[in-house]
Amino acid sequence: MIGLRCVDLTKCYNLGHKKNTVLDKVNFSVKKGEKLGILGRNGAGKSTLIKVIGGVEPITSGNIEYNMTVSWPLAFGGAFQGSLSGHDNLRFICRVYDLDYNETLDYVQGFAQLGKQFYDPVKTYSSGMHARLAFALSLAIEFDCYLIDEVIMVGDARFAQRCEDELFGKRADRTLLIVSHNMDFMRQVCDRAVLLHNKKIHESSSVDEAIYSYFSL
Amino acid sequence: MHLSKDVDFLQRSSRSAERHANLSLFQAFCTQVRVIFALIMRETLTRYGRENIGFLWVVGEPILFCGGVAVVWTAVRPSHEHGLQMTAMVITGYIPLTMFRHALSRSTKAYEVNSSLLFHKLVTPLDIIFARTTLEVLGVLIAAIIITFGAIILGYMAPPVDWSFTYAGLFFVIFFSYGVSFIFAYLTERSDTLEKAVGVINYLSLPWTGAFVMIDWLPPQYRWILEDTSPLANAIELMRSGVFGSKVVAHYSLMYLFYTCGITFLIGLYLTLKIRPHINMS
Repeated sequence: MIGLRCVDLTKCYNLGHKKNTVLDKVNFSVKKGEKLGILGRNGAGKSTLIKVIGGVEPITSGNIEYNMTVSWPLAFGGAFQGSLSGHDNLRFICRVYDLDYNETLDYVQGFAQLGKQFYDPVKTYSSGMHARLAFALSLAIEFDCYLIDEVIMVGDARFAQRCEDELFGKRADRTLLIVSHNMDFMRQVCDRAVLLHNKKIHESSSVDEAIYSYFSL
Repeated sequence: MHLSKDVDFLQRSSRSAERHANLSLFQAFCTQVRVIFALIMRETLTRYGRENIGFLWVVGEPILFCGGVAVVWTAVRPSHEHGLQMTAMVITGYIPLTMFRHALSRSTKAYEVNSSLLFHKLVTPLDIIFARTTLEVLGVLIAAIIITFGAIILGYMAPPVDWSFTYAGLFFVIFFSYGVSFIFAYLTERSDTLEKAVGVINYLSLPWTGAFVMIDWLPPQYRWILEDTSPLANAIELMRSGVFGSKVVAHYSLMYLFYTCGITFLIGLYLTLKIRPHINMS
């Protein structure tokens, strides 16, 4: 069953008078439950693609058809207010998404295990702590599809284990779109991978093949 | 035990993102109200933090400003000008002025600094600017109540002769502030030059707001400047006609106020609905 489909998806940025095309009539679809890896060199437009799919960046032309709910992009920066504490960010999310405060607090505390620093401004967090908070908060809302931009790789061993349990264990039926340069991780997690190069998506028959073409760029 | 609790957590449909898709009109309205409330709470925290009196600064800031000016002017100026109480003049002038200016200056680049909120699909630019303006308006409004009643109780100001005119004037000040705030939020997002100019515009428009004078004090041939071009001056006249009653000749037109504030608001609303593609995400 198709979860989402990009049809002639084009994304341009306007830099002054110059038009910078990042994605040029990209076509691909993601099945429900699929773990799709997106490979590409720095600046190929992987994060942009994730943001466009997450509805954060507007589409220049083309269309995305959704057949499932999609999370906000889990990435460094964005989604959180740095001057607010993790706890304040949680309260904001609870209010916006209409979640029960106590239940969510329990879950996020248990998952992120930030201890006292949960009440400190997010800007003082290390990247690992940031990742833990981002994951905990987005898993507190049951999306059908999670968009993960690099952020998963920075956690420590315990966090990796918890992700393993929560994301790949209990939520094994969910769709994942993962951007990463960690090929071991991609091989382990993804069941399909595409390569983003020269503004286009290049499909591959297997993850290994996609990784091979990524290295031969 | 622990596991079963987790499974329970997972299966609760109340946590599913699904229920935010395909909303009926009423549900969408409830969502918007919820989001705007969340934004106001968040904005209060980001701006004032939890140090000392924290969120009370929302009200404290305008009180210090309006109250300070009222006290100073009452002390140094003659107690009556053109037969009107000085304190009442200052309060009826400065409160609308502060509301308008705060709304205007907070609207500049409102979207750029809040772009991270747009990561959440339920949050729209309209919610952001509405919440931001509401926080300003509410802060000044509460400050206004405290200052006005303070002045009345201390005997520096007579209670308004007709409250309904005062409220009507205040309503139009608020209405106009929202419209201007929406428009400038759009314009400053599109033009950096304008963003720099907002401070100057804010300052140069001071006489044009009619906060310091009654239109009737002006020579007849210049009255049109405030009467026909300044919704804010009209609204303040309306307010003062309520506060001073028959002691003043107020120059305002309800029709004019209705049209200008309404059109300003509609233009602002239209622009706000068009801004999304122009917001640079950080």
